[in-house]
Amino acid sequence: MILPLLLLYVVTLVYLSITERFRNFASLIGLQGWLLFGIALIRLHAANPAELLFVSLETLLFKGILVPWLLFAVIRRTRINRVRRSGSSQAGSLVLSVVALAVSASLTYYIADSTVDLVFFGVALYSLLSGLILIVLRQRIFSHMIGFLVIENGVFLFSTAIGVEMPLLINFAILLDILISVLMLGIFFTKIDDKLHADDADSLTNVKD
Amino acid sequence: MIVYLTASILIAAAAFFVRRERQLFLTGVLFYAVQAAFACAILFGGLYDTTSAAWFRFDAPGTLFYVLLCVVSAFAYFHSEAYLRDNDLIQTRAYSALVMLLTTAIAGSYFASNLAVTWIFLEATTLCSAGIIYHRRTAQTLEAAWKYVFVCSTGIAMAYLGILLLAAATDCGSLDYAAVAAAAPHGNALYLKIAFLLIVCGYSCKMELFPLYTVGIDANFAAPSPASALISTGLVNAGFLAIFRVYRLLAETEVFAWARSVLLIVGVLSLMIGALFLRRTNNYKRFLSYSTVENMGIAAIGLGVGGAGVWAAVFHVVCHTLIKSSLFLQMAVVRQVYNGYRINRIGDYIHINRVGAVGLLTGMVILVAFPPSPLFLSELMILRETIVGGRWWLVAGLLLLLCIVIYSFCSRMIRLCYQPNQDELHPSKVDRALSWSALSLLVAAMVLGLWQPDLLREVIDQIALL
Repeated sequence: MILPLLLLYVVTLVYLSITERFRNFASLIGLQGWLLFGIALIRLHAANPAELLFVSLETLLFKGILVPWLLFAVIRRTRINRVRRSGSSQAGSLVLSVVALAVSASLTYYIADSTVDLVFFGVALYSLLSGLILIVLRQRIFSHMIGFLVIENGVFLFSTAIGVEMPLLINFAILLDILISVLMLGIFFTKIDDKLHADDADSLTNVKD
Repeated sequence: MIVYLTASILIAAAAFFVRRERQLFLTGVLFYAVQAAFACAILFGGLYDTTSAAWFRFDAPGTLFYVLLCVVSAFAYFHSEAYLRDNDLIQTRAYSALVMLLTTAIAGSYFASNLAVTWIFLEATTLCSAGIIYHRRTAQTLEAAWKYVFVCSTGIAMAYLGILLLAAATDCGSLDYAAVAAAAPHGNALYLKIAFLLIVCGYSCKMELFPLYTVGIDANFAAPSPASALISTGLVNAGFLAIFRVYRLLAETEVFAWARSVLLIVGVLSLMIGALFLRRTNNYKRFLSYSTVENMGIAAIGLGVGGAGVWAAVFHVVCHTLIKSSLFLQMAVVRQVYNGYRINRIGDYIHINRVGAVGLLTGMVILVAFPPSPLFLSELMILRETIVGGRWWLVAGLLLLLCIVIYSFCSRMIRLCYQPNQDELHPSKVDRALSWSALSLLVAAMVLGLWQPDLLREVIDQIALL
């Protein structure tokens, strides 16, 4: 049951690399939240019931509902719809994403070891690389936020892979999500819009040598 | 530890709600009294080398850096009182509370005996630092705070992935440093390598090392100068200690030589960036921040060469804490005079504030490692260890980069003191007491250059024991 969810998660990552509209970004992050909820529920079913309840509820409420809601609120507030001002090909981004997928799969195959669930490791690595690609290739701050959330989701996914032995770690990961993502999305982004009127990263170049 | 954390957080929370400046001052006094009492309890009350709440341990590195943190943080806090005199109470109390919380979070990370707990406290430092960086509420400080939160969070997430991988590689079911160190020799070598790489990359944003050093520069630039003194020493030390603890737990593994090579490369790149940007920047605070990158690069090289280099790296970081905090506190006085830090505009400081200028020139001599600087000792030890290891290419590169650093530092500092001033002076009167106070930290560093107490030697010996 977990494998289809993980495959769907990989598909969302590939789709993130080619989509141009921020609404799609927000929807995909929301979908990833629900997928992670499902994965956590299945993966941690053997864990302490209280831990399982905490982790799955946190994942659902936070990653599945709160973060997408905040993302849509930001889109409504800033009225930015597209990744770039003019429409352009996303072929480069797609190629890089596929290369990242190939690198993740190869590395996972190369280090094949029984101590770690390799599928989880591979998908988490691909998630990390996808997030970094989004941050590096896209100009708008909103895309950078999405990149950060994708990295966070990857880390969460990997923590679930070894979380059966250490559920506390998952709580720590969720704590990170709550503290940082809400701060960045809810407070910082609105303040940036108020003070800098910045819809792309080019505007954030005042602090430099 | 729990009592300490609770007391510190409660006092910081009280500082958020004070209604008079006098109350804020008293809250600060109370906070640092708690820090002093805690330090005394560790050193003389039998807490040293014991564990607390299963997640903390009062070991040698934690204690040494905590004592330094108390000193630097107290200096930063009470200098801030003068620095922020013109601010309204709401801003000042938020700033003061955040400085207290940052100090507490850094202390938590020093004493953490668990990889995940270290990580949690380092994450908490990101939140506190972001508030301090945004203190002036301008577009520039907002940009710096945004970059800081964003890059640090991404870095910390990478470090977390590294920690998880380390846990998976060692398969020990606990993230206690001792447990992981015991299990590490049997761990998968490739996992250990990837984990170390991710942790070094992630924590480099805290230690102000290559590759994520840029956020530290921006943070120091945007934060009030006394807070920069804390960020570029106490917080940087937290990053150093986090990396050092992981470095130590790999000491018995087959990947240790590889990990040392990684630190060597990271150190050389940091030193290179620091040396080159010291020439390029036009802002004295960014200038001092690049000097931090350079010095942390030297510390990383010390860890990379190993042997006596490890002792030298720890000693280097300890002394750098005193020197750099002193220079940042002197810069706070410079701002009081010129209302800015532009290198190509401000000058003639020797005639405006002789004590401050002497402090800066002495700081320059000490920071570029001329005797009696303690950094002379540490850099000499690192160079000797490098020569013993037969890495002549590294010796040549280090000497060349250090020459660039010396030239850049001397030319910039002499310029501030002697070039004709082209900016208008700020109407407020110079507070020479602050210059004297900052100078005292420098004197402490010079004393360490001439004489290292046996206790300090023993503590560093314990820390450097791999």
